[in-house]
Amino acid sequence: MSNVLEEIQAQIAGAKTTVAKENVGIVREIGDGVAKIEGLTDAMLNEMLDFGNGVTGLALNLEETEVGAIILGDYTSIKEGDEVRTTGKLLSVPVGKELLGRVVNSLGQPLDGKGDIPTTATYPVEKIAPGIIKRRSVSQPLQTGIMAVDAMIPIGRGQRELIIGDRSTGKTTIGIDTIISQARANKAAEEAGDKDFRPVYSIYVAVGQKQSNVAQTIAILEKAGALEYTIVVVASASDSATNQYLVPFAGCAMGEWFMDNGMDALIIYDDLSKHAIAYRQVSLVLRRPSGREAFPGDVFYLHSRLLERSARLGEKYGDGSLTALPIIETQMGDVSAYIPTNVISITDGQIYLETDLFYQGIRPAVSVGLSVSRVGSAAQIKAMKQVAGKIKLELAQFRELAAFAQFGSDLDAKTQAQLNRGKRIVEIFKQQQYNPLAVEMQVAILGGVQHGAFDDVDVEKIKDFQTKFQTYLTDRKSDLLATIKAEGKLSDETTEALKAVISEFKESYN
Amino acid sequence: MKVSKQQRSDAKKLFKSCFKDGLLDEGKAFEVVKALVEKKPRGYMGIAFHFERLVRLDVANRTATVESAVALDDSQQASIRGKLTTLYGSNLILGFAENKDLIGGMRIKVGSNVFDGSVRGRLSELASSF
Repeated sequence: MSNVLEEIQAQIAGAKTTVAKENVGIVREIGDGVAKIEGLTDAMLNEMLDFGNGVTGLALNLEETEVGAIILGDYTSIKEGDEVRTTGKLLSVPVGKELLGRVVNSLGQPLDGKGDIPTTATYPVEKIAPGIIKRRSVSQPLQTGIMAVDAMIPIGRGQRELIIGDRSTGKTTIGIDTIISQARANKAAEEAGDKDFRPVYSIYVAVGQKQSNVAQTIAILEKAGALEYTIVVVASASDSATNQYLVPFAGCAMGEWFMDNGMDALIIYDDLSKHAIAYRQVSLVLRRPSGREAFPGDVFYLHSRLLERSARLGEKYGDGSLTALPIIETQMGDVSAYIPTNVISITDGQIYLETDLFYQGIRPAVSVGLSVSRVGSAAQIKAMKQVAGKIKLELAQFRELAAFAQFGSDLDAKTQAQLNRGKRIVEIFKQQQYNPLAVEMQVAILGGVQHGAFDDVDVEKIKDFQTKFQTYLTDRKSDLLATIKAEGKLSDETTEALKAVISEFKESYN
Repeated sequence: MKVSKQQRSDAKKLFKSCFKDGLLDEGKAFEVVKALVEKKPRGYMGIAFHFERLVRLDVANRTATVESAVALDDSQQASIRGKLTTLYGSNLILGFAENKDLIGGMRIKVGSNVFDGSVRGRLSELASSF
């Protein structure tokens, strides 16, 4: 007993009292989600500040006599004269597979009422993008399931492809279809036990949207069975500008975790126009100098540092990737406005959606002429390259001829054939929303187009013909589809088999 | 009061002119304010307002408050004064206060820096770690 006593006494005698050092300031002004703080001499840029009562903020303006901070959380409890302390930490969000299937806010806190999320890792919201040496060129396809995109504007894993168009042209639908397509491919691979398949996990970032729209999107994902592979990060229109400003970075941090751990992820920013507007509000309240259209001078940097974090990493660094599909809303089709031109110059291509095409019934309303993918066929499987190589050219020729032909002049057989083929291709590329097609099905259909299978079908019946052809392939010729999927290319044998299947189907259709 | 950029700039120039050997000359600062009020140049109220703020912040930066759970005797105060003066310079404005809420130990605030060796501080650190 005396030994224990001696030990305890020795421990008490040897115990050193530590002094905690803090850096504090006093709130001088608070309003509109922004606090001006005097003191805080050691505050660093983007450092988290503790306002007490669980309220935190971010130091964004380091001025000579004060610090300007944006408040994360309820700023109504803060008043002039309150003490603020630095934390020495950067803002971080929880990351990991535990977030899949959940709806969270910009701080990673759950919003879906399904309880706490047991994550173990956190990633900083602001992070420097991977350097040049760490990267590898994009070569793996990301199948959106939308034939018009996969055939003519192919997207690869690690690419940034902008979806741009006016309101209600189907921008979000392209994003959701892509998520559903990834989920279906993930499920199919899991059921087949395919060990070589690399699943793609999705992150949908909703910036400044109506909560009813977000709820609808979540319901669609749930119905399609895609929510279990998706993280939904939300800062709705009723959230503060601070949350709307931070939410894409938070979503990107969650996506980076997958990339850094050798997995592939897809992130959709819906939309960056509202993100720029939220950042403008935050900057103006912080009294930063305003530039063109009242946006702050660093609005380009806002989006460039976000989108540069999407990349494909080299094998030495895990071979992971983060593909970004940012969405920008234009006003009256003006792609030469400030924010659209900024983001177009940052991304590796754009999918341009036109209102005219939408109302003509061409949905997805993809403008083939103005849309581009700077990665191109490097992001397509060989089979798709074989069947879709000429489609863009044929459509371009069709558009040119269609304008010429409307004057009603007599046309030679070749021109007529091009017009017929073009009309049928336009019909085939029309697709129902939330109904992505697997790549092998797309190859089979486009193979049919290439071999003229659709040329003798009336234009009005093309969609019906296509739908029934798809059903025929799925129900009776699934082995052909499996062969295309497994081989990834159309060998001579497979091409002959496809031609035979098409002839067989046409006989039964007639 | 709304202070324009020009007034802030002018106040800053006046404030810098009141420094001698890196320290604020309080007599000169007083003269500056007196001159502003007497001569009333354009925008003098805004300049004076911002000047006062800069002086207040400078004073706050070199103000040290020593809070202790029990009152310190003269020798303890002298010892602390000596050590703080060595660290922060001779124009430090030092104040001592008793604060029983600290339970034990001391809390020293110099400008924005707080050195918390109090029992209350360690307890709240322990609570936040949970």
